[in-house]
Amino acid sequence: MLQAKDLAVGYGAETVARALTFDVQAGEILAVIGHNGSGKSTLVKTILGIESPQAGALTWTGGTPPQPIGYLGQLTDFDRRFPMRVCDLVETGGWSKLGFFDAAGAGARLRAGEAIARVGLNDIATLPLHKLSAGQLQRALFARTMVQDAQVIILDEPFAAVDQNTEADLMDHVLGWVAEGRSVIMVLHNLSTVLHHCARTLLLGRGTGRFGPSRAVLNAGALVEMGYLAADQARWLTGSLSSVTGGGVTGDGVTGDGGADA
Amino acid sequence: MLEFLEFDFMRKAIVALVVLSLGMAPVGCFLVLRRLSLAGEAMSHAAIPGIAVAYSIAGLSVLSMTLGGLIAGLSVALLSTVLARVTLLREDANMATLYLLALAGGIFLLSVRGTAVNLESFLFGNILGLRASTLILIGATTTVTLLVMALILRPLILQTVDPVFARSQSKHTWLISAVFMVLVVLNLIAGFRALGTLMAVGLMIVPATAARYWVDAVTPMLGLAFCFGAGSGLLGLALSYWLSNVPSGPSIVLVCGAVFVVSLLFGRNGLNVLARRA
Repeated sequence: MLQAKDLAVGYGAETVARALTFDVQAGEILAVIGHNGSGKSTLVKTILGIESPQAGALTWTGGTPPQPIGYLGQLTDFDRRFPMRVCDLVETGGWSKLGFFDAAGAGARLRAGEAIARVGLNDIATLPLHKLSAGQLQRALFARTMVQDAQVIILDEPFAAVDQNTEADLMDHVLGWVAEGRSVIMVLHNLSTVLHHCARTLLLGRGTGRFGPSRAVLNAGALVEMGYLAADQARWLTGSLSSVTGGGVTGDGVTGDGGADA
Repeated sequence: MLEFLEFDFMRKAIVALVVLSLGMAPVGCFLVLRRLSLAGEAMSHAAIPGIAVAYSIAGLSVLSMTLGGLIAGLSVALLSTVLARVTLLREDANMATLYLLALAGGIFLLSVRGTAVNLESFLFGNILGLRASTLILIGATTTVTLLVMALILRPLILQTVDPVFARSQSKHTWLISAVFMVLVVLNLIAGFRALGTLMAVGLMIVPATAARYWVDAVTPMLGLAFCFGAGSGLLGLALSYWLSNVPSGPSIVLVCGAVFVVSLLFGRNGLNVLARRA
């Protein structure tokens, strides 16, 4: 779906991460992890086309970026006080397919309604955004992503502000997208989520990145070396993660058990 | 009491205010929602030197004064954005400085040059002395505003509620912002003759803020802001006629202010005093 070769990303003159080589296939999740400032969000913005690659190549299957690219970003720039109901927000997922003069129409409302039902927000579909909890807002944004109906979906820390129950629910939707053959790129912090659900991982840090099967990339030595963990944290984690890698992650990566959290 | 409706200048003033509110309502709502209320204020003052220069070159020509104001207002907005990118100081500090300089320069120029323009009517408006050309300017501005707003409404909403998502869906978000800023300055300039350079932004911001206290969706907010704006405009006009010494700008903005206070007290997104007591 997407292939990066010797990619360098950054803002303006400043390079944040260089020599990134990775690819994402249809029907798989690529996990992106890394310490603060390692370039996760910059990489996401580059894939979205908001920033330009500073060097190297980003190649899409079919030549051009797919339209639209599904995107669920961090909520730092999101304006929760905007006068909008949940159903209005979900409907905006379909707007990129509308021309300047098209009306949204009944079909768009229907698709939004279905997505709202699937994320379990039927009861509060007409509530304004400022009345939602963080978990409810994240569910609404997942519904918007469904309405986008994109072949490539990028999720930037989608579970940052939600509780365990919500995370499990939302992860099921992600697995559903993958089963439908869509590609998902996910910025994550929870290593056990990565090991459970993501076949391959791009670990960013120290100005560059490592890419490969999640089990191979996420070993204690690499995590320390890439600045993601301190040495003593890594020793503690090695024990708890080995129980996950022993049972949870198989060769093709995606398993359904979703249980044994570190 | 309503005998003033028979005067030609009164009817012109009424038409001007209703049409002006029609364009200012959607622009004002998005200024408020995009957290640019104070930038709108700054831009209205920034336009003054442009108008002054145009006036000293071409006299009382509506077209050249509009053009002058547009160029000056947009330059200040553009310059403060650029300065925020290339220097340490943020946009608001640069904008406040630039608009104060522009305002001072504008008043200076007008005082040195102008005997024909009455400074008070320039600052506070003279809605009872509207010429036909000003009415045409107001009508044209509102027509353009409504057409353009209808075209850019969806990207504008998306960009306001979720800017990074908007940029992930379209490469042209900067163009939408730029077009919106042009509409802001155009509407301010259209409002200058009626309400004065100090007060024009009031008819834009205050009804929009008041409307937000009552509703939680964009379309009703736009409609309500128009009703508040036009209603306050007409009532303020009547006040300024009855109390013959009060210039129209402040009297209209004061009525807007009364609507704001009522909305703040009773609106469901405001203090909502009635519901709290119950």
